[in-house]
Amino acid sequence: MKTNLKISSKMHLFIIISSIVIAIGLAVGTICHFAANGFFNYSGSYADYKSITVSYENIDFSGSGKEPAVILEDICDKAFDSVKLSKPVPAYGETGTGGEIVYKFSKSVSSEELEKAVVAINDEIKALVEENGGIQLSFASAHDAETLLGGAMGISRAAIAIAIILVFHFVYFIIRYRFMMGVGAIIADLHNLALFIALTAMFRVPVTSAIATYAVITVLLTVIGTCFLFDRLRKNLKDEDCKKLNALELTDKSTNESLMINSIVPACLAALSVVLFIILSISSLSPVAVLAPVACALIACAVSVYGTVFFTPSIYSGFKLLGENKKAAAKTNKITK
Amino acid sequence: MGKVKSAIITALLIAAMLTLSLFAVISCNVPGTNGVSRYNSFLSSIHLGSELSGEAYALLYPEGVITVTDYNLVALNGTDEEKEEYEDKYTLCDGVYVENEKLENKEEFIASIANDAKILSKRFGKKGYSDYSVSVENDCAFVIRVSVPTNFTYAALKNHDASARSAALTEISNTVDYLSTKGDLSLRDAADYDSSNSLLSIKEDFSSYFSGVSYYSIGGNHAVKMNLTKSGYDSLNKILAVSTESEASAYIFVGEDNFNLTLKMGEVLESRTLYFQSQAGSASDYAIVLSSILDGDILANSYNDDPASSGTSIIASTPAFGDLAAVLVLVALLLVLVAAIVAPIVKYKKLGLVTALMSWLYALIILMALLLIEIQLTIGVALVITLGLALLNFTNVKVFEAVRKETLLGRTIQASVKTGYKKTLTTILDLHAILALAAAVIALACVGELAACGLVFFIAVASSYVLYWFTRLMWFVISAPVKDKFKFCGYSREAFDDED
Repeated sequence: MKTNLKISSKMHLFIIISSIVIAIGLAVGTICHFAANGFFNYSGSYADYKSITVSYENIDFSGSGKEPAVILEDICDKAFDSVKLSKPVPAYGETGTGGEIVYKFSKSVSSEELEKAVVAINDEIKALVEENGGIQLSFASAHDAETLLGGAMGISRAAIAIAIILVFHFVYFIIRYRFMMGVGAIIADLHNLALFIALTAMFRVPVTSAIATYAVITVLLTVIGTCFLFDRLRKNLKDEDCKKLNALELTDKSTNESLMINSIVPACLAALSVVLFIILSISSLSPVAVLAPVACALIACAVSVYGTVFFTPSIYSGFKLLGENKKAAAKTNKITK
Repeated sequence: MGKVKSAIITALLIAAMLTLSLFAVISCNVPGTNGVSRYNSFLSSIHLGSELSGEAYALLYPEGVITVTDYNLVALNGTDEEKEEYEDKYTLCDGVYVENEKLENKEEFIASIANDAKILSKRFGKKGYSDYSVSVENDCAFVIRVSVPTNFTYAALKNHDASARSAALTEISNTVDYLSTKGDLSLRDAADYDSSNSLLSIKEDFSSYFSGVSYYSIGGNHAVKMNLTKSGYDSLNKILAVSTESEASAYIFVGEDNFNLTLKMGEVLESRTLYFQSQAGSASDYAIVLSSILDGDILANSYNDDPASSGTSIIASTPAFGDLAAVLVLVALLLVLVAAIVAPIVKYKKLGLVTALMSWLYALIILMALLLIEIQLTIGVALVITLGLALLNFTNVKVFEAVRKETLLGRTIQASVKTGYKKTLTTILDLHAILALAAAVIALACVGELAACGLVFFIAVASSYVLYWFTRLMWFVISAPVKDKFKFCGYSREAFDDED
């Protein structure tokens, strides 16, 4: 695949685009931190919620011969209809002797409505038990859960790991490549990470503790991308034919040569994410649960492609050209003197 | 290498991989001595993360708080006397029944539960689960809900392996019980709390004897490692020296619970580091609780200990991604693997078979790693596995393209392969070195799912590099019998074509 992208001369454009996106993302996150549910849109095991739990023992209390869970679900359906509460997809829990049916609601649902539903469910169970002359072992209750950010330790450890990787990335590139390439690599890492955080906050992607995993995947994709890009540059710098090219032309040539590999690796991950989203949507209890990891993965892939194919080469060549111009000016000054 | 040798090596390799693959994917009933027992494939024996296997949760009710079920069992079905007692004793408060005594200092009680929840969150965080949460339930915040991954394998999830399912739930139940232990450290002279006496004076704080506690594991042995301070070492030796009875022991308690960490009385401690051997799960739980106590995090309430409560029950819930989630993720990974096998065959024809073989080998290596190291499969881990597969394939593509360039210059196939590998060596080595370094950092510095991702990626990078050289060997094996030294698998020199 031969391309002829001229991106190295557009450093200012990419800086403006990235800065605007990052600024908007951070602003949205900060506003939501104070006005909504947090900097990120916490979901899953991170989110606060209200719930109705119906616990039961494995005894047929209705005399219908059906499983208690099936009967209770019917009772719950009727109760939700009677109080005009939209029924969420239930989660089923098992214990050794029975189980639980849990209906999770968002925090905004009125507690009074939930209480009404609970009363309706309990009344219906009681009536069925009395009809069959058994003892009541199934009860519904309403809950209001406030989740602690349990993954804080995981996130702080991930931050430490990312910081160490950034340092290693920089040092390794200085030793094996060139100083400016090391600078380019660390700028790419920081830029992509900031963009990932900003986009996740901006689009209110449902976030679980797995966000740290996707942040790290963003960094890994950036490391792979910069390796291919700067390896090409390193080889072109040694090439006799390329010696007459200036920094912008050389970077453009290297970017085009590494474009395919730098866009296909994240594209593979993006493709897997889309495949996962499609097939998991078939079985998932809640589409939001599937959307969270898939959206994070797609953002990570998009950010790493933009960062390594567009942003980093333009920044690198911009700095390189600046250095070359300074060197040329110094040389001219020396000759003039 | 001759044609026959080349064919034998290739056939042996494929046969070995095929056999391993069969064991990896096929589960079936096997007639055993005790009736028919079931063979669970490697795939169905991989541990699954909470999004694929569901979460196990427990509700922790502090002393003085009971469930609606526990209350109603007595209030609706008990004797009149019991009903009256319960009606006088409890008040319904946001879905739970709370002792009236506790409600007198309601604010203080709620604050103590909220603080306990924070401590529990820290304790569960140290357990290294791929995902977990601790939440305070009800407006009055009387109940703590702890949820962790079930750690089921697919076989356990589908009840094909009932013992593994029950073992996983028992381990979670034990962990919840240990980590929610109330109280401070103490040293006592008998194993039973009620019949024992403290070996320390009232003023002494036993936790001040220790500088740190950690979980220690080596060669399949698991232990709690407790480091004594200088003064703690001297004081403990004095306490142990008091008794000369050969059978006497000192027991370390947390609150009223004996943690089975025993010291022999009448013996002098050899070093300032104490090791207490235990089971893997419990050693780690003990270490977490003891270390938390040393940090000053002591639970104020005991949970699910109320005589009126039915105790802790672990509830295994359905996976958020649905019952079929694990199968569907494996199908997605399989689709990616098929794509990684088919694409090179389409592009490189016979040579693509070598890349396909490498992708297949990579899949088997990762599968064995997940199985043997008991790494939980999550969506994050699945993505990292795909990243490793992409790395392997693009490494090979890079080499193949370099070899193609060399053949176009007029070199023989063998010479082109040699030069192609030589020219791409630094690129591949640098890429793998920096990624292996990054993966090692993630595996060592992170916890939970990320640590698993780091470990899997490290294995993936290492496999990719090894398989890169294995591809070199396969080049040699499959190209050795070819008679035309300038034409092989669509690779031919331009000069050769021109001469034609």
